[in-house]
Amino acid sequence: MDATPSNAHEPAPSVGPESIPSSIPAFSQRVSRGISRRTMLFGGAGLAVAPWILAACGSSSSAASSTSSSSSSTVGGATTSATGSTAVTTGAAGTTKSGGTLRIARPPASTVETLDPASSLSAYEYLGALYNRLVKQDASGTVAPDLAASWSVSTDQMTWTFVLREGVAFHNGKAFTSADAVYTLQHILDAKTKSPQAGVLSPFLDSSGITAKDAKTLVVKLKSPNAEFVSLLMNYNCYVIPVGSAATIGASGIGTGPFSLVSFKAAGKGTVKANPNYFGGAPKVDSIEFTAIADVQARVNALLAQQVDLVAQTNLDYATAKTVTASSTATTATVKNAAWYVMPMLYSAKPFTDLKVRQAFKMAYDPQEVIDLSIHGLGTIANNNPVPPTDPNYLDYSVPHDPDKAKSLLASAGFSGSQQLYTSSYEPVMSILAQAYQSSVKGSGLDISIQTASADSYYTDVWIKKPFCVSYWYTGRPVDQLLNQIFRTGSSYNESLWADSSFDAILDSARKEADAAKRKQYYQDAQKILVDSSASIVPFFADRIIGLSKKVVNYKEFGFEFDYVNIGFGA
Amino acid sequence: MLGKLIARRLALALLTIVLATVLVFVALQALPGNLATQILGKDATPDAVAQLTAQLHLDRPGWLRYLTWLGGAVHGDFGTSLATGDCVVSMAGDYLRNTAVLAGITIVVGITLAVILGVVAGLTRDRLPDVLISGVALIAMSVPEFTLATLLVLVFAVKLAWFPAVVTDGPDASLRTILHNVPLPAAALSIVMAAYIVRMMRTSVIDVMASEYVAMATLRGLPRRRVLLHHALPNALLPALNVIAINIAWLVGGVVVVEAVFNYPGIGTLMLDAVHNRDVPVLQYIAVIGALVYVVSNLLADLAATALNPRLRTPARAS
Repeated sequence: MDATPSNAHEPAPSVGPESIPSSIPAFSQRVSRGISRRTMLFGGAGLAVAPWILAACGSSSSAASSTSSSSSSTVGGATTSATGSTAVTTGAAGTTKSGGTLRIARPPASTVETLDPASSLSAYEYLGALYNRLVKQDASGTVAPDLAASWSVSTDQMTWTFVLREGVAFHNGKAFTSADAVYTLQHILDAKTKSPQAGVLSPFLDSSGITAKDAKTLVVKLKSPNAEFVSLLMNYNCYVIPVGSAATIGASGIGTGPFSLVSFKAAGKGTVKANPNYFGGAPKVDSIEFTAIADVQARVNALLAQQVDLVAQTNLDYATAKTVTASSTATTATVKNAAWYVMPMLYSAKPFTDLKVRQAFKMAYDPQEVIDLSIHGLGTIANNNPVPPTDPNYLDYSVPHDPDKAKSLLASAGFSGSQQLYTSSYEPVMSILAQAYQSSVKGSGLDISIQTASADSYYTDVWIKKPFCVSYWYTGRPVDQLLNQIFRTGSSYNESLWADSSFDAILDSARKEADAAKRKQYYQDAQKILVDSSASIVPFFADRIIGLSKKVVNYKEFGFEFDYVNIGFGA
Repeated sequence: MLGKLIARRLALALLTIVLATVLVFVALQALPGNLATQILGKDATPDAVAQLTAQLHLDRPGWLRYLTWLGGAVHGDFGTSLATGDCVVSMAGDYLRNTAVLAGITIVVGITLAVILGVVAGLTRDRLPDVLISGVALIAMSVPEFTLATLLVLVFAVKLAWFPAVVTDGPDASLRTILHNVPLPAAALSIVMAAYIVRMMRTSVIDVMASEYVAMATLRGLPRRRVLLHHALPNALLPALNVIAINIAWLVGGVVVVEAVFNYPGIGTLMLDAVHNRDVPVLQYIAVIGALVYVVSNLLADLAATALNPRLRTPARAS
């Protein structure tokens, strides 16, 4: 059925609050309420307090304007996180006092959510507190050690060897060894687990290729070369569970992470307590209490009434964010570029079979106007490139807005200029974006008529079915996964049905390439092809604004990463 | 005669309930997707979907699945949830209890308040108390329940911090916790519900007070109190009864919205989730309960009307 949403924004309450999922189809599945939410990966950017709060600090313009002007191709790390840390200091950072219970409101994945990290219905917010992965993402978007202390790959990019961290124990006291790592990967690939990540890994990985060389060494033999394999293990489905725990992990939550499970009820309340022996250092707070609240407005109310200290995974709309910042007890923080919006033009359908028409549609709109109208400029212009500027492989390349050229392209393609654009109330920005695009392209001779389809069946009846529609994805997947899943010929998530053999060949070359610099060049070549000829209009990345108590300090979240160790209360 | 009436009404009630379940079932068939596609996600191979569909018996024709369900239901077996595999009746138990607490308090408070205010407004027609009561009732009627609920939260939970804004516990919350959390949602529902009844009650009291028999009773020198309680009120309540019954039935829908605003773990919350999961057995069970509330409240209203109305109560007399 439909997609799943996460809660980036929620439908207007009049619809009946959560009857319609509110979030964004994520990559992996647009299926159940939980799934897409979890699927969301936000981009590897730092945080910044929402620009309007910062006005007093004089840095608001820098946050907002970095959109269009992010020029350096290696953005990310340095720039963004620098901004981020300044902002956090201003808003809610400082010395942490030890102890206390952090109360987090979260959207439940489903009534049948589970603590099995591999499942499509896992309770996302618990995972980072309870478990570790072999590798994690650092603030610059690159792969960093977690349970794997180091790794290497054979020159043919086929055999990966991971040396595991010493002296790590699970919450039940059992030592972590390579057997657990082998078991975890096999569990993900097991068809019975129905893990979304199995679809990503199985094309080049079989269970039989995963072996333990000794107690501290994991060896993974791929079926085909993939120089980016390790980046795929940063996924939130890849948290490590104890060997043999498939049947029990959903309730036991036994991991190696900074917190151990005290109680958990699907779509209800749960508590985790600090693990004093955590290898990354003991957490600042004594415990975290998670409360599942399905309705986005109810989550915000809980924050305003001081029943919770943080609202996780919830994008506050502009008006709500202002309410939150106006309160005496709560404030907001921003996760940069958390989602990207897209208008796929179906490659198999007229008029988009013609490259000239696709190029005209991309050139026809004014990116600044569209981002301002759609999301008050709180995001980054994407220039039709789905790779976020914070990604180390980002290519800063764009084809400028040019109404006259768009007109002449349309004329030479013999296209009348009238086109239907589908949208729905599935997520609030979608329809605003449709209107912004409609108004922005008028000067380019395009006459867009907007068709609003039912939210409940949008992702079954419209998406990949109608020639032109609006959609969005969470940011944060590694570039290899992003390009292969959404743009490769024949991929099940290739929402525009675009097919370009030279693009596919570049992705294959990248996977075979041992040299990181050359690999980056391949990914940048691929991005150039996307901007020039793909069938996807990508107008912008949108920030996610989350709400938290003014007492909370050191909130840090990017990509799949949430810093559970350092978050705490101000002294 | 009364017995025959009740038997007829009961048969109609049963038919209503069965029709409601048929409608819900048909409506669910019309929605795209099923639980198998839900569970497996977009990446699922057609084989896997087919296998799970068969496992869940979703491949059998709709009418057969409905009859199987109906066969179980008449024996009190409402099946198991497709999503969790739990017995529907026990699974819904906690949610039902919570909603029953909320609805029960709402009905008692709402109706009492509405009848009193309606009578006061009717008796003070066009004077200050009436203007105030009618004005507020009109506003309360026009404001959607989720807006009212949000306003109550902002004032009583956020600003004054008298009550919690949301329920942070799941369906198995203790009764104490539920009672602690119930005031605001119950207030939101009571106010909207009472508004309609107040208006009805007011009109009806005005009509009755202008009637000849009330004038007669007054002229006979009966104390005003006796005129009101014995002659005016029972007759004034009559037209309001059906409005009350309709409002109790409305409550079944109203709780869905209000529960979401307060994160209240009741039947409305369960229903939203079941719709999302296309969890037919759970929805059918909720449909049966909803229809049951509807027909029972209407039946009770009719019986009460009979009890209050001398013409309906007593067999026709030759005059």
